[in-house]
Amino acid sequence: MIVTNTETIAGYRIAALKGMVQGNTVRAKHVGRDIAASLKNLIGGELKGYTELLTESRRQAVERMLAQAQQLGANAVVNVRFTTSAVTAGAAELYAYGTAVWVEAEPGTVAQP
Amino acid sequence: MMADLISLLVGIAIFLALLGLGFFMGWNREQRHLRDLRRREQAMGDMGVTQLKSFPGSVAGPLPPAVFFGETAIATDYFKSFMAKLRNIFGGEVKSYQSLMERARRESLLRILEQARRHDYNAVGNVRYDCADVGGNSTLRKTAMVCILASATAYYVARRPR
Repeated sequence: MIVTNTETIAGYRIAALKGMVQGNTVRAKHVGRDIAASLKNLIGGELKGYTELLTESRRQAVERMLAQAQQLGANAVVNVRFTTSAVTAGAAELYAYGTAVWVEAEPGTVAQP
Repeated sequence: MMADLISLLVGIAIFLALLGLGFFMGWNREQRHLRDLRRREQAMGDMGVTQLKSFPGSVAGPLPPAVFFGETAIATDYFKSFMAKLRNIFGGEVKSYQSLMERARRESLLRILEQARRHDYNAVGNVRYDCADVGGNSTLRKTAMVCILASATAYYVARRPR
């Protein structure tokens, strides 16, 4: 599965459009992370807990999106976009969406999807 | 009367201690992060970076293009928050938060570049930055912090255009 955040893929031709696919996840941070973050906000530095939370959410949202693409019989997802929204206090939604397509390698290239 | 005075003094002492802690620790950590960023950016100097939709001269090499993500959440410190609150009274540029945003963006891009390099790509195109709202609705209280979610498509470019 080729995943890009561009509309086209260099060296490939979009042969068929399969439709829009999406994946979302709403994740809450446990209160320990909130406390650690408020302490970290006194002295500065990276909020590793929140970075982790973002990474996990993004990974899950993308996984769900790719599962949908697989169901549609696509071999690539192009133009992947993200959006986040704060649903309720202490929880954040991460939503990933893209367009599932079937791509074929341009003649004369060695790459295979 | 005496108790009031003591609690006032203790309050001021705690405030000054936090301000000093924020100033010294925060400054130290920021400088360390900036040094680290400079070093890693130098190591990634030969990677092509653009926010054009496709990388000029990119060809379908042995590797198909792939998307990579970089997330960074960076905390403010007590001194920066205090300076920002002051700035909110008089208006103007909040320099202390500006450096936070810059650090988060550079860190996110570097994380993408490092992943791309690990997967044998040599250029990234279509770099996009998003501001993630994770702590905006914190259960405890509204804490100023910066969350950047960056994405980019990694390419293998046979010969980089000069």
